[in-house]
Amino acid sequence: MNTEPFASVFARAIGADAGDAVEKAADGDFQDIFPLMPVGQRVDMGTAPDGTPLIDPRIFFSAEFRRNPWPYYRLMRDHYPVYFNQLNNTYYVTRYDDMTECYFDDIGFNTIPKGSSNGVLGNVTHELSGVEHRRRRNLFGQHLVGKALENRVPAIERLAQEMIDDWSNVDAPWCITNGNVRTIELGQAFADSFPVRVVCDVLGFPSEARGNFVYWYNSIMSGLGASETHKQGMEARQHLEDFVESIVEDRRKNPTYLYDNAGRNIGKDIISKLCESQVDGDYLSTEEITALIALVVAGGGETTRGTLMNMWYSLLQKPDQAEAALADEALWDAVFHETLRHSNPIGGQPRHATFDVQIHGTVVPAGSLIEMVNFSGSHDERIFHDADNFNIFRPDLYTGKLLRSGYRTEGKCSHMAFGVGPHMCPGAWISHQEAVIGSKILSRTMKNPRINRDRMPKDIDGVSLAPIGINKTRELWLDYDLA
Amino acid sequence: MSTEAKQAAKPPAYGAGAPDKDAFTGRNGVPLYTRNGNQNDYRTYEVYQRERVKEATDKIRPIQLISPEFIRNPYPVLEILRENYPFYRDWLGNSFWVTRYDDVTSIFTDDANFETRPKRWFYDIEDLGRDLGQEVALLTAQATRIDANVERIAREIVGGFKAGGGTDLAIEFAARLPLELLACVLDLPKDDFPKFVDRYWRMQRGAMWEPKSRQAGLGAVQELVEYFRPLLAARRANPGDDLISAVAMLDTDGAPATAEDLVITLLEQDHETLHGALANMWFQLLTHPEQLDLVKRERRMVKFAWLETLRHSAPVLTANRFARHEVERFGRLIPIGALLHCSAAAANRDPRQYKDPDRFIVGRKDLCQREPRGQYRADGLPAGVAFGLGKPSKHPAVPEDRPRSLYAITRDTATTASNVLLDVVPEVRLKPGATPALRSLRLGEMHTCWNLPVVF
Repeated sequence: MNTEPFASVFARAIGADAGDAVEKAADGDFQDIFPLMPVGQRVDMGTAPDGTPLIDPRIFFSAEFRRNPWPYYRLMRDHYPVYFNQLNNTYYVTRYDDMTECYFDDIGFNTIPKGSSNGVLGNVTHELSGVEHRRRRNLFGQHLVGKALENRVPAIERLAQEMIDDWSNVDAPWCITNGNVRTIELGQAFADSFPVRVVCDVLGFPSEARGNFVYWYNSIMSGLGASETHKQGMEARQHLEDFVESIVEDRRKNPTYLYDNAGRNIGKDIISKLCESQVDGDYLSTEEITALIALVVAGGGETTRGTLMNMWYSLLQKPDQAEAALADEALWDAVFHETLRHSNPIGGQPRHATFDVQIHGTVVPAGSLIEMVNFSGSHDERIFHDADNFNIFRPDLYTGKLLRSGYRTEGKCSHMAFGVGPHMCPGAWISHQEAVIGSKILSRTMKNPRINRDRMPKDIDGVSLAPIGINKTRELWLDYDLA
Repeated sequence: MSTEAKQAAKPPAYGAGAPDKDAFTGRNGVPLYTRNGNQNDYRTYEVYQRERVKEATDKIRPIQLISPEFIRNPYPVLEILRENYPFYRDWLGNSFWVTRYDDVTSIFTDDANFETRPKRWFYDIEDLGRDLGQEVALLTAQATRIDANVERIAREIVGGFKAGGGTDLAIEFAARLPLELLACVLDLPKDDFPKFVDRYWRMQRGAMWEPKSRQAGLGAVQELVEYFRPLLAARRANPGDDLISAVAMLDTDGAPATAEDLVITLLEQDHETLHGALANMWFQLLTHPEQLDLVKRERRMVKFAWLETLRHSAPVLTANRFARHEVERFGRLIPIGALLHCSAAAANRDPRQYKDPDRFIVGRKDLCQREPRGQYRADGLPAGVAFGLGKPSKHPAVPEDRPRSLYAITRDTATTASNVLLDVVPEVRLKPGATPALRSLRLGEMHTCWNLPVVF
């Protein structure tokens, strides 16, 4: 006869302690469960009997994951190439080859509008698939590539130079001159507003709309998806639509033009072009044009800002690479691409399985949300040697002209920051121009630039600089010599 | 499809060593990955309405739905959803929340458009065995043994409480009774009870997102299969009236039931409602002494206390449904595969159905007072939604060839046991100074009282 009291039998059976861990994690960062680890090491989340490390899905909400994601992505690539996160009802595809295949299969992995941006941005192009997506994308995509883009380069150069020239005249907390050394905060001094100005210029908005633009941009970004500022985003979207409507009605009658540095007319601007574009023999509605513009507004600012900041932050932490890039402007392309590979500002793209599909033995039911983790693809050691290390001279990264087909030849591969295939970021080419032109002009202005370590946030050891992780560099204090 | 198109539609080679696609059938019986060879035929036909400012969901942050406060007390957050966003899109959890009574019950009874994914799907052991839970022989064995033994077991348990002393009613009564009953239904050897409790609970708790519990649960499933294999063989040779014998004697389509089938059947059964609602009922009665007095004065009110508990403090808070195909509900287009959280907790406190819904009122007049039959309503009154008990019967009366439904069996079990408790220790009351509360151990688990100290 057993004599053990029922209470102790039952306590053991339900594992009473396991439940308490959730209660203790009262802060949103789950630091009680997932302590901050040295960069490159991961929290032990347990092991299956066959030795496979386990993943606790709460890790994705944790502060630890945001600053130190790479060991966890490696764990997923090695052991769970298709990982089902039951807590978020989402599948993650983490290997470079798998996500490439999925990206090119626009039918099996569709983008039909179930996305979180649907509410704020409207019925946007990137949430269409197949032939409908191709038609609409080409309507505005053509203005952001090739000859059309070349036509905009003088304006981008002019905007960058204007902003940097202003530094000598400003009296602001982000620009401190002390003898021969000037200290600036790169975000406030340049990166925060430069991409916004470029987008405003590209869209041909009147200059008085620039103030509104920041409001639209900030509200729409903060209203995307899972946030309490959803309403603010919707209001901004409505406001943008009202504004665009008035512009569109005007441009339909009085188109506006772009001019080069010599003042020559080089064609209509984007909105004027969209006003005369047709789909299925019918002009685009104001609603459709607004959705396209909202996408450019939302996509053209924060991403390029983050890229610029991450570029300078990563580069200046590698003195020999920084020295080389500052001596040879041709290397800025490599800095741009290596930054996007190593710490790109956009994490991934959602897809939905159109059919039941099996990948690496995991059956993904039709309709499931599958997140293509671009972060992880760019760090896949099956593709990039020593992938967690920032190295602008790495021989296995393709740094040439951006290709929608991706690049994978003779041991060189393109990174995953823009995705690949039919939905590859339409702003990739213009953001490349912005970041590289902006950086070149910055490097001409700043002599011997270096990070002001005293003003920068530190990592958990209190000494080394905070890692970027999947965050973006929020502020970057630089010192440089004036002469 | 033309021959040409058939040739073009070759399955893609995802991953190494994947099984033959032609031989593989998806969960819904749909062949895996058949696709049209001509991509230009494909159009995104879905028309999604743009959201307007007034449709913004700014009164809630989705992180609230997984917060520790929600795990302790989900009702305030669910009220925000029910009264403002009755069909809420939770971007963080990639799901929808259904919170009004009529909406929840309409989804829950709509098998044509929404499917359940069983616990074994979350365990990824769908091929292990069959769920025989709906076999009449099993239902009969279960009902017979419960009815024959519930009073005896309750008297054994309650008889162990020392008169004048005290006990923890949540563990020693509410948690213990269902497990003793289950052991009796299976007719397990007495000495095996502690080991069985351990494995059974590990198995039940593991079918969720927490990876260590899941591993422990998978281990428990295997241990239970090994444990039941010899028992099943013995009962096949020498059958009794218990559940294992019923499984052993089952002969469906020439395939005799296996130990795996038995374990899967146990896994898919409800393990929460009797335990959780019994604890919650006594929690409510002990913290509302005037209601307890009412029940003591009129024992027929015990049944109504049980029904009101299932409504007011349902232990199973939500049930998940997945859209089988794209379908329009509540003015929105629900995409195929979408996850719907149907919230019993929110529906059961819907002021459109119940007056003063947050109050625990034994014998309330706006609650259906018998086993709900047909879409959750009988006698023109709504019944408390209790997901663990499955759907109410469609039949207007109990069919002759079937035992009573789980609703009725569970209700009678709880009533009988509670009456025994009141007989043996009529002066039961909360231990002075105790502050019991309801909570879930983890997100998504049953919401019940885990500590209810009483004195007699």
